[in-house]
Amino acid sequence: MVSKRFITLVSLLTTVSALAGCAGEKSSPTAQQDNTPLQVTIATPQIGEAPKKGSEVEQAIEKYTNSKIDFQWIPSAAFEDKKNIMIASNEMPKAFKITSNATTLSAIQSGLFWEIGPLLKDYKNLSGANAMYYDNLKVDGKLYSLPLYRDIGRAGITYRKDWFDGLGLKTPVTLDDWYNLMKTIAEKDPDKNGQNDSYGMFLEKSYNDPVASSSYLTRLAVSQGAPNKWGLEGGKVIAEFMTKPYLDSMKLLRRLYQEKLINQDFSVVQAADADNKWNAGKVGIRINTVASAGATSQDNLKKAVPNGVVDIAPYMGPSGNRVPAEPGNNGFFVFPKSSVKSEAELKRLLGFFDKLMDPEMSTLLTRGIEGKHFTKTDDGKAQFKDLTLFNLEVKPYRDSLPSFEVTGTGLPLKLSDLQAKGWKVIADNLKNVVPNVALTMNSKTYSEKGGELDTLIRDAQTKFIMGKIDEEGWQAEVEKWRKAGGDKVIEEYTAEYSKQKK
Amino acid sequence: MLAEDKNWSNRLFNTVNYSLLTLVSLITIIPFVYIVSMSFASPEEVAKGGLLLFPSKFTFGAYKYIFSTDTMVRSILISIYITVLGTLINLLLTSFTAYPLAKATLRGRRTILLMVLITMLFSGGLIPTYFVVKAFGMINTYWSLMIPTAISAFNLIVLKNFFQQIPDSLVDSAKIDGCNDLGILFRIVLPLSMPAMATFGLFYAVGHWNTFFNAVMYMNDAEKFPVQVILRQIVLLSQDQIGNTTSQQDPTDYLPQTIRMASIVVATVPIVLVYPFLQKHFAKGVLLGSVKG
Repeated sequence: MVSKRFITLVSLLTTVSALAGCAGEKSSPTAQQDNTPLQVTIATPQIGEAPKKGSEVEQAIEKYTNSKIDFQWIPSAAFEDKKNIMIASNEMPKAFKITSNATTLSAIQSGLFWEIGPLLKDYKNLSGANAMYYDNLKVDGKLYSLPLYRDIGRAGITYRKDWFDGLGLKTPVTLDDWYNLMKTIAEKDPDKNGQNDSYGMFLEKSYNDPVASSSYLTRLAVSQGAPNKWGLEGGKVIAEFMTKPYLDSMKLLRRLYQEKLINQDFSVVQAADADNKWNAGKVGIRINTVASAGATSQDNLKKAVPNGVVDIAPYMGPSGNRVPAEPGNNGFFVFPKSSVKSEAELKRLLGFFDKLMDPEMSTLLTRGIEGKHFTKTDDGKAQFKDLTLFNLEVKPYRDSLPSFEVTGTGLPLKLSDLQAKGWKVIADNLKNVVPNVALTMNSKTYSEKGGELDTLIRDAQTKFIMGKIDEEGWQAEVEKWRKAGGDKVIEEYTAEYSKQKK
Repeated sequence: MLAEDKNWSNRLFNTVNYSLLTLVSLITIIPFVYIVSMSFASPEEVAKGGLLLFPSKFTFGAYKYIFSTDTMVRSILISIYITVLGTLINLLLTSFTAYPLAKATLRGRRTILLMVLITMLFSGGLIPTYFVVKAFGMINTYWSLMIPTAISAFNLIVLKNFFQQIPDSLVDSAKIDGCNDLGILFRIVLPLSMPAMATFGLFYAVGHWNTFFNAVMYMNDAEKFPVQVILRQIVLLSQDQIGNTTSQQDPTDYLPQTIRMASIVVATVPIVLVYPFLQKHFAKGVLLGSVKG
């Protein structure tokens, strides 16, 4: 709330004090339907190396969409601060790629950005995308942002097939399966080096990330029947950790920890360190990764274990394939009213983004330029020719502009078997995703002290798994959470849920 | 007997002392050696993990990758430019301010010192500072990295105290010889203050070399980023794979880790090279005086 008022105040101040030193270029309203190139300024987090201004890809986009693009790449390490400063000083581009968090939400609610929901129907590509992408971005029921589409059901089990085959294991379904699997791998020395150094899985500290539906504990619990972060019980919105399947999953981790079947330092391990363990061939199941990354996991493993075999399986549970729905975007574009002067200009901008998803542009963004980055195979698919060059020259655009990498309108990609399998898991997941019922809901209490509440529960979870508190202690912590504001959050979500249902 | 006892305790003290010092220096040096050797190691060796202090085979793949585009070279040149010019500005402005403040005869000296002191305790905050930089038209120019940080209040006060230790008689005799204030500063005070200047020069230079946050805040043009910004970007290279749909792995034979290590080496070595040249001044200490009998 403070930041909302603050932002409004600062933007007011800026306007009043006419500090409009840099506003010169923005002040020519070429709003009519004309053929002059559309000026597009885009600010976006930098991915890898910032491409040169006027690069070949940029020129190709400009030519196809009749526009003049100016990218501002912001290093990801300081993106949030830069974003806040740009919002506070009202120095925003025409399209601003940001991610969802408290400051974003308050900026949207204070009316800094255009609403685009009602306009989308006029654009064939934008309106053609699955409605779930947009529903997940609504603020107070209205759509202000254009997503960078990401798959919604990305979870998958990446595992060492050679180990599983050697030990006669199957991919897990029930929690008992998970336990047996971890025990067998930890004790049977699958890499045959005579040392007790292999793990069924290597847990890292974001295993119980309170916000991300992609966190491991949520994935595991959802497969066993828990809700995705927030679920419904008797018409009431409840938190995932208040359900039995979630508690059972925590108990599994507790047992694994006590019997030393998972790494004992899991609460402090960085994601990169867990990746290294996998790359070094010490881990049976790779967690917190996605189905499409199976092939990458195989390549990474190959360097240390040349004959390691990786495979992908969907998350299964007693009631079949069940995975948490992820938000379906990797950030989104908002269109500031201060730089996009009229609705006509907004419409042209949306047209620009719509055109980016035409087959030609989609091919350009996801495959690059034919002959340079990819070649066409005999069966009409694209095969990368020079991935280093692609990563350098095309990837920054692909990751910053809307596109569908594999399921889009671009030239189909020639996939390896493992890749194709990973994408099939993702496609099948989509039918079985469990949505987070509170994803687009607002709770006053949560925006005020959600951080505190989340930390309380996270710490309690880690303590429970490490055996520092027992089940009673855990219930006491949940009780504490409820009293500290959790009950109010539930109340507010439930009120909003019943309002939406009407 | 007494002498023997002393000898023995002396020896014990020395042994403990030396082992502790060796331990401390190992703790400081090993990470650096580790980084350097990782940057040269082959991917297979890195993938095996563990503490690697000397690679069995040297490869230059990571360095080749870093220098395959001109980004790194450009950013290093930018950093050198900012560091050299910025440090000159720092030293000039700091000594220009410190010198009059060292004079008891300056009117309002206490008030000015108090104002300087306040800036040490309270800062304007990010957004107001941004507005000031913007109002001076410095956004997206290198000045924004040099001017707002031109004088460090702490360094200013230490330098002022340093100047105060220079005997008044020296200054007076220069005056009698017909020197004006500027002449005294440049011909008497500054030459006598070389240890202090070298030390503060190094402090400032390291600060400029490590500029990261200001560069991101004030620079809009990715081609104007100094080396630390690029370095941070590379170090983050492999850490954001969760939000990444890439189903394709780069087939070249380097690992993100080696690239990270190599870029740390590339970004650190230039500033480390400055130290030996200033070492002799350092030996005298930062807060010690220059006039020693």
